[in-house]
This record gives sequence, structure tokens and C-alpha cells, in this order.
Amino acid sequence: MIAAILDGIVLGLQYGLLGVGLTLIYGLAGVLNLAHGQIAVLGAVVVSVQMGNGMAAVPAILIGLAASSAALLVVDLTIMRAVYRQSGETRILLGLLLMLGVAFIIDGILVWKYPIERLGLRIGGDPIAILGVKMSRGSLLASGITIAAGLVLVVFFMFTKFGLAVRSVIQDEQGARLVGVNPARVRTFVFGLSGVLAGLVAVTRSMTGPIGADNTISLTILALIVAVVGGLRSVPGAFVAGVLLGIVDRLSSFYIGTYITTIILLVCAALTIVIRPTGILGGSSG
Amino acid sequence: MTAVDETPTTESPMPPPTRSSPSSSIVLAYAPILVAAALLALVPLRYGDTGSTMTVATEGMAFAAYAIAFNIIFGSTGQLFLCVGALAGTGGFASAILADRAGLPMLGAMVVASLCSAFLGGILSWVSVRRALDTIFIGIVTLAFSLSFQNLILGQREWTGGETGIFVEAGKDTILHDRNPSYYVFLGLVVVYLTIFRALQRSRTGWAFRALRDDQLAAELSGVDVARYRVLAGTVGSAMLGFAGALFAHSGRGFIGPSTFSFGDVDVRVLVMLVFGGLGSLLGPVIGAVSLTVLDEVLIDYAQLRPIFYGSVIIVFFLGFRRGVVPAVTDLFRRRRRR
Repeated sequence: MIAAILDGIVLGLQYGLLGVGLTLIYGLAGVLNLAHGQIAVLGAVVVSVQMGNGMAAVPAILIGLAASSAALLVVDLTIMRAVYRQSGETRILLGLLLMLGVAFIIDGILVWKYPIERLGLRIGGDPIAILGVKMSRGSLLASGITIAAGLVLVVFFMFTKFGLAVRSVIQDEQGARLVGVNPARVRTFVFGLSGVLAGLVAVTRSMTGPIGADNTISLTILALIVAVVGGLRSVPGAFVAGVLLGIVDRLSSFYIGTYITTIILLVCAALTIVIRPTGILGGSSG
Repeated sequence: MTAVDETPTTESPMPPPTRSSPSSSIVLAYAPILVAAALLALVPLRYGDTGSTMTVATEGMAFAAYAIAFNIIFGSTGQLFLCVGALAGTGGFASAILADRAGLPMLGAMVVASLCSAFLGGILSWVSVRRALDTIFIGIVTLAFSLSFQNLILGQREWTGGETGIFVEAGKDTILHDRNPSYYVFLGLVVVYLTIFRALQRSRTGWAFRALRDDQLAAELSGVDVARYRVLAGTVGSAMLGFAGALFAHSGRGFIGPSTFSFGDVDVRVLVMLVFGGLGSLLGPVIGAVSLTVLDEVLIDYAQLRPIFYGSVIIVFFLGFRRGVVPAVTDLFRRRRRR
């Protein structure tokens, strides 16, 4: 039981970061990034290729994160321009469908060029006991990195000027423009940031199990579920939802079964939309 | 104004179309269906001897049927149902199980299975109307349903065969398993579906569809029962999906598995077909299905590149149409091609 919960927290932290990446882009640009998992795996594959060429892990990871980030930046600066000129339902629908197209293109490229490339970062050393449960060093390092990334995000959004500018655009784009914030610049920045977060999730996940082209869709779906349960516009909501769903995931896999677990997570998302669309933390934003 | 039972009346929020005379208009309205049917009926004359080509062509017709049904739900009332495969699969698996396990006659099983799909689609539609969900949220909820369905198929091995799928016994000794006749059965289904689509368009329901799609508030204010028509479109479209899925299950290979009705294999293709052919138009789904089926055959050696191609089609067409023919995606719905 405790083992399952601890496992769930490890998993949930990653889910949270996954959901935050999706939430940032939706909250800011109204674009539901259905390519989030693809962007993440793209980064992991780049890391794997670099390391295969003999590069050390840390610089390879940095290049991988840059690749994920660059992919989303390109999307923001090219096809998304057309989306931003729209408003309301049209904008959201167009953004969703275009990102679906992007997802297929990245998926296609990954399966075509790197069908068997897998990133599996093995963290050596004996397991460490926490609350009497032996946790692998890989899980702990992954969680440590995720928590650190979360803290950086909190500091960024709470205490830096640019972070506050991002939050202001999420809350009220028109108002932000009036006080001198340039929404287009903020948007581009957030696309890049979301790409880095996506890549980071793939890299940390590879510390507990290999990541490759066949993980793209499941990662996108997880990101979507977490973001929806978090309320789609609330960054803290996404993080909390991620941790909770991670625990639900592990407990349910442990006691009920794997395929039911996926259904439970999906039902959580559907019920959130139908019953409480503002998500787990209510109407808070930013 | 006596050509059709439910001719549009003056209370409609849309102006009536210009028509020369009632009798010629009904010919004009249904002529495209006849032309398309006549052209498609020629396919077996050319390829009737090549078994593999006819199998592909029959599958193409099944997809055309899915696309027409999806066109009623998404193209006509703007409800983004990302569960085309799941609704068709509900029909397919339910019909197979009812016929093979419960011993229902095949046609009866197909009807009951379509009712199951209609019920599910109706519920999804009703919930989204009741909760006033935006397009994107309907998309997410139906996607969740889609993926849950997929997992259920994989999980309920005893009924669905899990990953390996099941062989469908019912239908084995019917024309559905003869190569060319089964193509004509599916072509017949497409013609029936097109006729339903056109009849809906021309009826009062069609006026309501257009009104609520163009401006929901205005439609509501002028007395259109928006909720009712949305649920109607969701239910009718889902029933059509279920029936097409059931027919598919009993035909051809006599085999259905998890990928027969999966999101990646059905929904995406149907969406690409519809976008390719023209959202909301009568023949768009058929043109899209035929084009994509032909393209898939031509590019068969490059099957790996298919996802890249699909993705590009989605992006190029949504960007292109938006800029070119009409200013916005939702305006695509507004387009009504009379051919």
C-alpha cells in the first residue's frame, strides 16, 4: 500500500509536469497541444541519438530539451500565427486540429526514422529505503529533478517580472496588453518553456523505463487527462491533479488491473469536464 | 412547395434557396447522389478480377459511410465527436456478439447494435448539450469515451478476443462474403446514407441545423430547439455509424480486432477524408474517402509515411481553406455546395 502510494507520487510528479506543459499553452494561447507527448519523445530520441554518438549524458540531455523546445517554437512562429488571428470557438477548434496534424507529422517522422530508438537512462546504485520501502535511485533522481523544476516554475511565476507578465496574459490578454505586456512574445516564450518541460518529462521517465516512438500517444493522452482534471487553465491545479492521478494510477494498477486503470483515468477526465469544468482546485488560475 | 413533406417554411431563420420549380429541384437535389453511385458502380467492372483491390474499395465505401455519418454530427451541428471508431465499433462488436453468442438473426443483431450506438451517441450529445460544453470539451469527452472503448475491447478478452480479435461467424454464407456483391452492398449503404443526409438537409431539421450552426443564440431566440436538434444529429449519426460498423463486422474478412475501430485507424482517417472532401457538403465525405483510398493504394510502398501525409493534409487544408475559400473554420460549415 505504502509502496504503491510512493510509486504513485513518483509517477504523479511526472504526470504533473506533463499536465503543466499542456496547461500553460492552453491557458495562454487557447491551443490544446495534442502533440505534447510527441514533442516529449522527440527530445528523448534526440538525447538517445546523441548519447549513441558518444556524447555525455548531461550535454545530450540539454540538446534534447533544446530540440523539444525548438519544435514547439517553430510551431508557434509558423502555423499558429493563423490561429492567433482567430477568436472564440474558431480559434480553439483550429488550434486543436492543427496540433493534431503536428502530432501526426512528428509521430510519422519518429516511427519512420527512429522506430527502435529508445532512451533508457540507467541510474546505478542500490535502492534507498524510504518509509521502509526500497526506492530505486532512478525514481528518486527523477522525482528530485521534477520537484526542482516545479520549484523553479513557482519562483518564476511568483517572483519574476516576466513570470507575472505570463500570468497576466493568462488572466486577461486585453488587460495585459494595456499595461504594456506583449502577448505575442509571452506566447512564444511559453511555447518554448512548454517544450522544455515536455522534454524534461521524457528524460526523467526514461530513468525508470525506456522511452521511444511508441510512447508518444499515451504521453499526450496522459497530459490531456491531467490538464483537464487540473482545470486546463490552472498550473497549480495541473500539478496537484498529476500527483493525485499518479497515486490513483498506481493503486488501481496494483489492486484492480492495468486496463481498468486507463479507463479510470479517462473517466476522471470526462467527469471533471461534465461536473466541475474548472478542475480540481476550482477557479484559481496562473 | 409540396415536393417534400417538410418543406422549409417562412419561420425558418434562413432564406429559402432559389429553385426553378419544385419538381426540378428535387431532381437537382438528388442527382449528385445518382451520378456518384453510377460512377462508383463501375469500379468492379475495371477491378472486379483483382481481389485485393476490391477489398480495399469495399473498405473505402465503409469509410465513406462513416464519413457521411460523421458529417451529420460534426459537419452539420458542429459537435466534435472524436469517437467515430468507437461508435462504429460498438455496432460491430455488439452485432457480432449478439449474432454469434446470443443467436440473434444477423439483421436483427445489426439493428439492435445500431440502437446501442445510437443510445451512446445520443447520451454523449445530450450530456454535452445539457452541460453547454464547448466544441473542445465535447472533443475531449468523446475522445475519453473512444479510448475507454479501446481499452475495454483489449480488456474483455472473453467477449472481444482482446488483442487478437474475433472471427465473426454470422454473415459467412451471405453475399457479404462475396467480393463484388459485398462492394455493391456497401455502395448501396453509401447511397442510402447520402439520401438520408440530403433529405435531412432539405427538411425542416436541415434548416434548424444550419441555423444553430451559424448562430446558436439567434437560432434559439427564433424558436429553434437547439438542444433537441443537436441530440437528434448525435443520435441519428451514431446509429448510422453503428450500422455501418456492424455491416463491416459481418462482411469481407469476417474478422474484427482492436485496430478495426481504433481512434488512430478510423477517426483520424475519417477526419482527413472529411477535411479533404469538404466539411458539411453532400459529396465531400465520398470524394474524400475515394481520394484517400486511391492515394493509400498509390502510396502503398510508402505506408510508413502515411501519418506524415495525414498530418500535412490536416494542416494544409485547415490553413488553406481558412485563408482561401472562407475566412474561418466555422465558416466551412456554412458552406453549402449544391451540386
